[in-house]
Amino acid sequence: MGNVQLLLRQHVGAPCAAIVKVGDKVEKGTLIATPTGLGANIHSSVYGEVVEVLEDRIIIKPDEEQPDAFVKIKEGTPLEMIKEAGLVGMGGAGFPTGVKLDTKIPGGAFLVNAAECETGLVHNVRQIEEDFARTLRGLKYAMEITEAAKGIFAIKAKNEKAVAVIREAIKDEPNIFIHLLADIYPSGEERAVIRECLGVTLGVDKLPSAANAAVANVETLLRITEAIEDRKPCFSKNLTVIGHLNDGNKPHVYFDVPVGTSVGELIEKSSGIEEPYGEIILGGPFTGKPTTVDTPITKTTGGIVVTMEFMDLHQAPTGILICACSGNEERMRDVVSKYNGKVCSVTMCKQAVEMKSGALKCEDPGNCPGQAEKVLKMKKDGAEYIVIGNCSDCSNTVMGSAPKMGLKVIHQTDHVMRTIGHAIYRKLRISKQVPQLPNGK
Amino acid sequence: MSITAETAKAHANDPAVLCCRREAGTVISVSDLEDPAIFDDLVDSGLLNLDGALTIEQVVGATLKETRDSLQPLTADVLDGVKASSAPAAPAEEAPEEEVAAPVLPAGAPVAAAGGVLKIHIGEGKDIDLEIPVGAIGAAGAVAPGVAGAVAPVAAAAEAAVAGEEVVVRTLTRKHFNITEVKRGPETKIEGTTLYIREGIEKEAVDSQNLVVDLKVDIITPDKYHTYSETVMDVQPIATKEGDSEVGSGVTRVLDGVIMMVTGTDANGVQIGEFGSSEGYLDENIMWGRPGCPEKGEIFIKTQVTIKEGTNMERPGPLAAHAATDHITQEIREVMKKLDESLVVDSEEFKQVRRPGMKKVVIVKEIMGQGAMHDNLLLPVEPVGILGGKPNVDLGNVPVCVSPLELLDGCVHALTCIGPASKEMSRHYWREPLVLEALHDPEVDLAGVILVGSPQINSEKFYVSKRVGMTVEMLGADGAFVTTEGFGNNHIDFAAHHEEIGKRGIPVVGLSFCAVQGALVVGNEYMTAMVDNNKSEAGIENEVLGCNTLCHEDGIRALAMLKDAMLGEDIKKAEKAWNPNVKSTNLELISNVTGKPIELVENEQSLPMSQKRKEKYS
Repeated sequence: MGNVQLLLRQHVGAPCAAIVKVGDKVEKGTLIATPTGLGANIHSSVYGEVVEVLEDRIIIKPDEEQPDAFVKIKEGTPLEMIKEAGLVGMGGAGFPTGVKLDTKIPGGAFLVNAAECETGLVHNVRQIEEDFARTLRGLKYAMEITEAAKGIFAIKAKNEKAVAVIREAIKDEPNIFIHLLADIYPSGEERAVIRECLGVTLGVDKLPSAANAAVANVETLLRITEAIEDRKPCFSKNLTVIGHLNDGNKPHVYFDVPVGTSVGELIEKSSGIEEPYGEIILGGPFTGKPTTVDTPITKTTGGIVVTMEFMDLHQAPTGILICACSGNEERMRDVVSKYNGKVCSVTMCKQAVEMKSGALKCEDPGNCPGQAEKVLKMKKDGAEYIVIGNCSDCSNTVMGSAPKMGLKVIHQTDHVMRTIGHAIYRKLRISKQVPQLPNGK
Repeated sequence: MSITAETAKAHANDPAVLCCRREAGTVISVSDLEDPAIFDDLVDSGLLNLDGALTIEQVVGATLKETRDSLQPLTADVLDGVKASSAPAAPAEEAPEEEVAAPVLPAGAPVAAAGGVLKIHIGEGKDIDLEIPVGAIGAAGAVAPGVAGAVAPVAAAAEAAVAGEEVVVRTLTRKHFNITEVKRGPETKIEGTTLYIREGIEKEAVDSQNLVVDLKVDIITPDKYHTYSETVMDVQPIATKEGDSEVGSGVTRVLDGVIMMVTGTDANGVQIGEFGSSEGYLDENIMWGRPGCPEKGEIFIKTQVTIKEGTNMERPGPLAAHAATDHITQEIREVMKKLDESLVVDSEEFKQVRRPGMKKVVIVKEIMGQGAMHDNLLLPVEPVGILGGKPNVDLGNVPVCVSPLELLDGCVHALTCIGPASKEMSRHYWREPLVLEALHDPEVDLAGVILVGSPQINSEKFYVSKRVGMTVEMLGADGAFVTTEGFGNNHIDFAAHHEEIGKRGIPVVGLSFCAVQGALVVGNEYMTAMVDNNKSEAGIENEVLGCNTLCHEDGIRALAMLKDAMLGEDIKKAEKAWNPNVKSTNLELISNVTGKPIELVENEQSLPMSQKRKEKYS
């Protein structure tokens, strides 16, 4: 295997500081960097030698031999062990789990985000299907730590097999339930999960604790169990590789990939890119970022998506409708330039609110506030094409006006959806409500 | 876009349309509804059909029986629990007579100001359909009760000691000298009614300016109106101050029957104009009788100035063309000063009158200040002169307060060369209809005129408009007019002036060419009372000199509208598309009440069709 690059910032907060130097021998699980503020420990994911310590990463040359054994974290209370293991939210946000679980929600609900709403990614659902026992134990640990009264798995109803597995496992659990979600984007947005499960729409600046709730991704629960039961540091990741690959467009699911492995290595392992291609996305089609084969995966990487080539708009005037559900303005402009369009109008969904960090958050994820005015604006600004990144509901609204105005609509994820054989985001033809299981069981 | 409770309240009787797909069982709330402000655009785009739509107040709280998609009107068949409408049964397009007549302002004159609506559609921008109450309407019986109600508060606000008494602040006398013939001769002089212009003066005029390479003088008598001319840059009265009088007071001598006309190109033959130019046969390109234009029958002393190539779009170029022309005008002025009083054919006195106790109004005139040819010399020594005048661009375009008489006495030398149809030339200020109308209206107290330049840069636009707001505030005005020339860029400050004045709780009425081509590019909640200066048939900048400038008929409408606004009259919703008939209807209503006929000015259709107009505009 090639060199492993461990980024010093794999989480929300400040970058960690390296505590190893060039030439140091490390083992799987060796602590190599520690937080300088809000953050989480970083451990080596391989046996090998530190060959470079850069400002933003530590580079390790792996040994030929990679035994399964690893350096265990020291024993302590469950919460201490989670902190020591360097756990962060594995669904993508990367909030340090030890900090999250340090907030008690007595009598509250611990929600498990199993929505896996980034189209094309399947490793979360696969994990439930194949390794649910440890996941469930993770939930119980989390509920115990936070003093939550009940746990709820939020999962799309379409994942029948996974739902069946959960139902079977929780049938005798008095405090654990299932909440079924519709197959729309972004049903897995944290505040959308809370709204659907608990009926509370949180303000964009509120944490789940404001609803006396906590939310964690299914993989995070698995890693909690590993940290507590196996004293295993957080150095491996589950992910999906999918797209324009030599063996077709079916997903490749990998469990326990060493953090720091390069994107290129994982693509090669998945049969390699079928040339020519459009771009490689690190993460999901909506919120992922374009990346390169040299980039390493982190504790929060959920997907690697290789896409087909972009259509050529021949510099047609193009409007962009920015929203909180997908790419920011930079990403939208990047997509337009890859389509060889020319941005002539920039609009933003009225529900997108800019946070202090510069990130956008939606006031009511998945429930459209209306887009006709934005579409009119782009039309007036001379757009022939519009590129949107909206959720299922807003995309549906855009389709209610844009085509009649003669605007050609491109969704930011179109090239991905076409690559993986999924329907493109346009009209919404299903209900946003799904029937729930009796008593959530 | 979904709306707020506040918007929903304001639009309670507007059609209810889903902003987005909503599923069966949804209890309709305001956040499910599209903003009625964009309906016109949606209907125009064929996206929306409002047939059968219930109103917003009817649907809120009702339950949707079936899933409906975005931009679908909510109709009775898809809802349970629809409320009854509180709206009056009257249809939207009720006759203006049914609208409440506004009470008149307190004054001796039995003139009623009142409702009626001028409706202007602004095609660009956001939420700027304007509703405009215009003029007096209604039967005498309807007006009478209003009078009593209106007098009391105004009278109460008046300074008791002086209420109702007119105070003459200063006077200005115009002495008219008639000219029936203009000839060239060995010296510049006036003999009887013949004006002689010295032969060879052209060379001196050229030499007076570095950038002027050539200057021709043509005497255009009415039989020569069908003469080709380069674009008309300005039309100026020939006037001078008598003795020690200053512009705006004392005595001004003016020649009747003749005007100065500045025309020109640069050395490459490029017209000195932007967004259209009026070159062509004079009789096909001049809207006779507009305040800024020549009267039919007048003689033009027309200079055709050629300035250095490429300087037509820089400030010194057009200024040089004006200055060279003024070299000739100044020589005529010197002669005029010596004319014998016996040659005075007419004398008129303008009084600057203050009317304490009446509603105090100010007129904000936005003038061009973007630089290049968009400049104005303010307060020159002679009426519409050059010497002593300060370019408003150099003054930073900040508001400059002038008295109504200063304005009428030529304190603005207009270098402006925006679209010919809407530009206010020097003569326009000399005969400014709104200023005259407000000055003579016994029901209002005209405090003065504020000239504010329109800078090029947005930040500067807001800088000057904030000064306008402060100025109007400290004048303690009860109402304000904002006028502008041109369209497009200057509408940004035009809108900002409305906002700065309006947010201080001062009613404001705007006057601008808008119609079709000049549709406002920006808008705000204070732009509710607007008068469109358009006269053109198609609502466009038709490149006919002065066609779409502020005329008497616009001044009357604006004044009536401001009076209404100051009395707190509500302004009704506008029609969605520009409709010139609304203006004529409302003028007729004003006229019915005042008993004075209002003759509408003609438009370009009264002129012989030019080749350019035929090709470009028909």
